[in-house]
Amino acid sequence: MLEVRDLTAGYGGVPVLRGVSLHIAKGEIVGLLGANNAGKTTLINALSGIVAPMSGRISLEGEDVTRLSAKARVRLGIIQVPEGRLVFPEMSVRENLLLGGINAAARGRRTTEMERVLDLFPRLRERFSQLAGTLSGGEQQMLAIGRGLMAGAKLLMLDEPSLGLSPRLVQHIFEIIERLNAAGLTILLVEQNLQLTLRYAGRCYVLERGQIVVEGAADAVRSDPRTRSAYLGL
Amino acid sequence: MRAEFFATLRSPLLWLVFAVAALGPFEMSSYYLHVATLALIYVALCSAWNIVGGIGGQISLGHSLFVGAGSLLASALLLKLGINMWAGMLIAAVLSAALGAVIAWIDFRFRLGHLSFALITLAFAEMAEIVAIGWDFVGGASGLLLPRDTGDFLAFQFGGGNGSYWAALTVAALCVLANLAILNAPLGYSLRCIRDNEDAAQAIGVGLLRTKMLAMVISAMLTSIVGTVYARYLAFVDPYQLVSPLITIEIVLFATVGGLGSAFGPALGAIVLLPLGEILRGKLGGVLPGLHAFVYGLIVIATIMLSPRGLLPLFGSWFDRKAVRRSPERA
Amino acid sequence: MDELLQALVEGILIGSTYGLIALGMGLVYGVSGIVNFSHGDFILLGMYMCLGLYSALTLDPYVSLIITLPAMTVVGALVYRFVIRPIASHHLLMVVQLTLGITLVIQSALLMVFGGQGQRTPSIVEAKLFVVGDVVMRGPQVIACLISFALAGALFVILRSTDVGRSIRAVHQNARAAALMGIDVGRVQTLAFAIGIGILAVAAALLAPGASIQPSDGLRYTVITLLVIVLGGMTNFVGIMLGGLVIGCSEALGTVYLSETLGSLLPYAIFVLIMLFRPRGLTWGAS
Repeated sequence: MLEVRDLTAGYGGVPVLRGVSLHIAKGEIVGLLGANNAGKTTLINALSGIVAPMSGRISLEGEDVTRLSAKARVRLGIIQVPEGRLVFPEMSVRENLLLGGINAAARGRRTTEMERVLDLFPRLRERFSQLAGTLSGGEQQMLAIGRGLMAGAKLLMLDEPSLGLSPRLVQHIFEIIERLNAAGLTILLVEQNLQLTLRYAGRCYVLERGQIVVEGAADAVRSDPRTRSAYLGL
Repeated sequence: MRAEFFATLRSPLLWLVFAVAALGPFEMSSYYLHVATLALIYVALCSAWNIVGGIGGQISLGHSLFVGAGSLLASALLLKLGINMWAGMLIAAVLSAALGAVIAWIDFRFRLGHLSFALITLAFAEMAEIVAIGWDFVGGASGLLLPRDTGDFLAFQFGGGNGSYWAALTVAALCVLANLAILNAPLGYSLRCIRDNEDAAQAIGVGLLRTKMLAMVISAMLTSIVGTVYARYLAFVDPYQLVSPLITIEIVLFATVGGLGSAFGPALGAIVLLPLGEILRGKLGGVLPGLHAFVYGLIVIATIMLSPRGLLPLFGSWFDRKAVRRSPERA
Repeated sequence: MDELLQALVEGILIGSTYGLIALGMGLVYGVSGIVNFSHGDFILLGMYMCLGLYSALTLDPYVSLIITLPAMTVVGALVYRFVIRPIASHHLLMVVQLTLGITLVIQSALLMVFGGQGQRTPSIVEAKLFVVGDVVMRGPQVIACLISFALAGALFVILRSTDVGRSIRAVHQNARAAALMGIDVGRVQTLAFAIGIGILAVAAALLAPGASIQPSDGLRYTVITLLVIVLGGMTNFVGIMLGGLVIGCSEALGTVYLSETLGSLLPYAIFVLIMLFRPRGLTWGAS
């Protein structure tokens, strides 16, 4: 579904990612692991079209999207749920969800889609007209995911969904991610939490200093000594 | 630190520029001498403002207060009370320093943000203009006319022409030197820390109140002194010109376009933009009222769009290498 | 007592228009963080367009809006897209200087076309007076007040409950998240600037009838606008309208009760005091 070849990207002419290649098949959960500053967020921002690539190619379902704007990629269904959720704090849950589906491809289906999201997260239904800024961390994460679903995601890229949540909530969120995946959604899971990701993802990539150092099935990645060294920075 | 200050002072280039500037009047027609004198006065004003606005990042829009004190008050003291203008200059400078200290204290006490600080100082400046225009002691709306400049140095007279030019050059050099010295002194480091992050600066032990006050006091005194020299040069002291926020806007414009925070950037901005404005006025002013300002405005817009980091980086860094490197532009 | 009432009414009448003008600036500031120092000059541009249309076609300022509103909106969009946006990411002060450059251009263009003497645009409502009890209200001011509140209300509704309005608020609250929703942030900023200038076209038509104008009046409006939005807490709708009323009333009260000098000082003094003791604006804590 998504194919990244030899991607180099960064800020102000300084590359953060150097020659990253990866692929995600339809219906997969792929984990992207790495320590802080390994370049994970830069990678998904490049996939979202927020960071412009210096070289390399990104294609979605065979079509080259490397030069497409962030807006065009959202329309194609490449949706990012950003680190730290970034909900719109002074808007209600309802308005946040409506904004999720504001792109031209999703706008027409907002009413039905919203019902689906509210069924998936009953908590959001309870908080429907509350300001997003007053929600708890877990509820904000649900809202951020719901907002991503509203956008008509084909590929949902979650950046650190476990960040700052209690283990019980993390469990809940990941179960929902699994459920979404079972319903056919392709997922890229960007996480620092190694064990958690390996448990849910079928395949994983490990990023270290802007390069992929390990890739493969979760078990293989788990036992690969380079995974450990990428984390410990050895 | 100090060593770098003296290294810059020893730079032959600096002395060459100074020497050329000092000998300049002998080669200039009286019109260009006038433009050059004005440019130097603005070099001084911009550099004095830069201590607070550029190095310290506290965008003061109230510097017309200090220009006004230096020009109007010193002139009024001479005309109304017969106080020698040298003494008047000092009195005005001390008063400006006190005013500056109060403003810095308010900034500190009420933890004003950048925009609030800019607007509160602007509000002070607007009030000062209204007061000056309504206050007969400083001449009211009609302003003050200083006695003819006979070149009596002891009476703060420089004789016009070359003499006034050198007076302007002296204050310009003084203000640029003050910038260089501050940039290379602990005060400069503290100021830049505050500019970049006030909380972090406080955390590493920078005294906010002390630093802000010191910078504002130095800046205010210098500005006031330049104001007195400016008043003497103009001879006619017009509150609509010298106490108006418009003069601050001009100062900030030159300083920003030149390059904020470095020792020579604001000076460069004044040297380029002021003569440009004057010459446009000379060439186009008679053609159609407004035309010169129109062209000037377009040039300002074009300059900013072509060089949004200021002119200084554009001019190559070899002249001001140290000062630029020590105070990187903020993105 | 009557004097007080009269002053307050006048203050509210003019203050509502100040509020409207400041809403335009708040909108721009909210989505792009830009403080536009040429704001007041755009008002003057609008007023002179009314004057020009009156001299050429004897159009009443209110009728001129059919032309000035779209024209100013387009000018706003173009200015933002091609002049301000290219350097919007640079130092705040650089952007302020750029808008000051725009000030110079507008002001001197007006001077070239219309000359420097004070001029006024007549209107049919100019001489109308409304008398309620002992309070006398001038026709144009009453119309200005009603339209200002109506337009502010309409803007409020648009921002609350349309997709365009939500996009604008989204960019204000978190530009990065807005981009991730597929909102074109640059386009929203351009739109906000265009709306902001469009509002000024309306404000200009409201202020124009009977008012004497000079090309250099822009700075005064800019300063008033700045005072109002800072009082209002920069982006708070209700706060900004309230700020407009405070400044309007202090102006009117100052003129009635104090000497000329002290009277003109009053709005600034009140501004400084409010800023010092309610540093985040009038409605801080209420929202």
